[in-house]
Amino acid sequence: MVKIPPYLEPGDTIAVLCPAGYMSESKAAACLETFTQWGYRVKIGKTLGGDSQYYFSAPDQDRLDDFQQMLDDDSIKAIFCARGGYGITRIIDRIKFKQFKKKPKWIIGFSDVTILHAHIYRNYGVATLHAPMASAFNDGGMHSEYVLSLRHALEGQKIRYQAEPHPFNRRGKAVGELVGGNLCLLSHLVGTDSDLPTKGRILFLEDVGEYLYNIDRLLYQLKRAGKLEKLAGLVVGGFTECKDTDRPFGKEAYEIIRDIFKEYAYPICFGFPVSHGAANLALKTGLGYKLIVSKTKVSLTE
Amino acid sequence: MNRKSFIASTVALGTVISPRAWYRTAPQAGDPALVIPPYLQYGDIIGIACPAGDIRLEEIKPALDQIEKWGLQWRIGESVGKKDFVFGGTDLERAQDFQQMLDDPKVNAILCARGGYGAIRIIDRLDFRHFVEKPKWIIGFSDITVLHCHVNRNFNIASLHSKMCNSFPEDWSKAESGQWQSILSIPRALLGDNMSYSVQPDPNNRMGSARGQLVGGNLKTLETLAGTKSDIDTKGKILMLEDTGEYLYSTDRMFWNLKRTGKLDGLSGLIIGGFRTKPDDPGEEFGRTLYDIVMEQVRDFNYPVCFNFPVGHQKENYAMKLSVVHQFEVRPDGVTLTALG
Repeated sequence: MVKIPPYLEPGDTIAVLCPAGYMSESKAAACLETFTQWGYRVKIGKTLGGDSQYYFSAPDQDRLDDFQQMLDDDSIKAIFCARGGYGITRIIDRIKFKQFKKKPKWIIGFSDVTILHAHIYRNYGVATLHAPMASAFNDGGMHSEYVLSLRHALEGQKIRYQAEPHPFNRRGKAVGELVGGNLCLLSHLVGTDSDLPTKGRILFLEDVGEYLYNIDRLLYQLKRAGKLEKLAGLVVGGFTECKDTDRPFGKEAYEIIRDIFKEYAYPICFGFPVSHGAANLALKTGLGYKLIVSKTKVSLTE
Repeated sequence: MNRKSFIASTVALGTVISPRAWYRTAPQAGDPALVIPPYLQYGDIIGIACPAGDIRLEEIKPALDQIEKWGLQWRIGESVGKKDFVFGGTDLERAQDFQQMLDDPKVNAILCARGGYGAIRIIDRLDFRHFVEKPKWIIGFSDITVLHCHVNRNFNIASLHSKMCNSFPEDWSKAESGQWQSILSIPRALLGDNMSYSVQPDPNNRMGSARGQLVGGNLKTLETLAGTKSDIDTKGKILMLEDTGEYLYSTDRMFWNLKRTGKLDGLSGLIIGGFRTKPDDPGEEFGRTLYDIVMEQVRDFNYPVCFNFPVGHQKENYAMKLSVVHQFEVRPDGVTLTALG
């Protein structure tokens, strides 16, 4: 059984930090403001903003210290990663989860944060929140159904999502713990201490900006590593901003995915609104869900 | 005159080399479990196949001409000339063609026409039983790293990391010295010549001496083999890496994958070949060089490390006998890598 961190109450504190890429405090302003409007206190980590000139929000040690401090602070009920980028891989093995095991809290984000979701699920069996990050709150985004889905998840509302049917869907019903995230990162984790267990689980995948042939390659890796054969079900999110080589690969992303999975029998839904695009519903990963894929609709229920 | 320049000059002039010079028995390396396929002899056959990307018949003509000059024969596989978008035929067609090359006792080596992408889609369809009984040289690099790793890991059979048909220049007079010398290192390796490379020192090299089986190839491909049946074990080995077209942050991430899958801690030595990294997008400068990325990963260890070794997606891409035990010396005056077998 996966441990569910306590849901948030008004007055609870959310830490906001950047464990990977850099984000200025101004770009996170709308998100900080919104958390306050929702009734939460916000504790801003050292890695949000700051004077980093380069790729990361701060040097590895500083990103590690910031995350560790928030992880160990019992007054913080959730850690919100303001952005992804690249960098969690560089610190994941040095994060100590001892206090977190005793007093779990919500870890929120997606993209590079997939590493945290996979690592925590695999090693500590704690639910985490795959959800929009700070930039989703900008330009009026704080009112979108996607940001609101994050709010509802934090408050403890049970997830009941419906999605439009897609011609590539494969009908069926599945029950299992929902795991997954960014395809490129899930492949990157194979064979490491953060390798995501998938047998009997409902796997969800999304990605952005990948070459089409690379999507094929990454899925072949997962397949050959035994990660796709015994799924309970598959949820395919957005594969946005795909690139193609000069000599075209010849298939679109969803066609590539459909063909990789055609040898299996479990239900698959395509076009689920989880992605690097605007559509990115909050998903409490690690928890058990029921996935129903029928001719007319798709439902994902906690 | 040393042998290397002798061969280079005679072949470049198009003369056929005396057959007597090429009769060689395969010397055995230190590891009893290692198998080196028989070196080729005058008149032996090189099969040409497309396990990954497609190629047209006209494009392999320069390679066919060269093979004849080496005193060898060629056989063109069914997948040459086939095209299924980026692949040299459907998965089934490519697998069948490669399979018949593997199984045919008259084919002494398989030269992959090009890399690209696609070897991973057929590797699990191949039956290596005949190959294990009668090993032969598998030749190529880039995507062909899939085959090299699979064959190393599962059978400990040596293979040849080198340029492929698509890199043979049509007009040798226009080819750079590094390019045609790299190509000529292919027959040297196949015909059993002593393979020893000397490379200019790089200020970032880490000194030392190592001996071990040479493994590796394309870094990105290596990452996608992690956790699969083709994943390599690097303990006590000399790991050789090259890549192209990746951003620095992605290269860093791939090195972290090597680290986190235990591929860097027990090495005998590390060889960094050509890394043609993609320039960072403005505003996304990674802030570290390839040297920084690599040295950070190896700082807890003592083994020798060299940079700019002439292998990779570049003009200089010399033939390297993977799985064969090598002696690797990194000294202030230069680097040597010598195959012991």
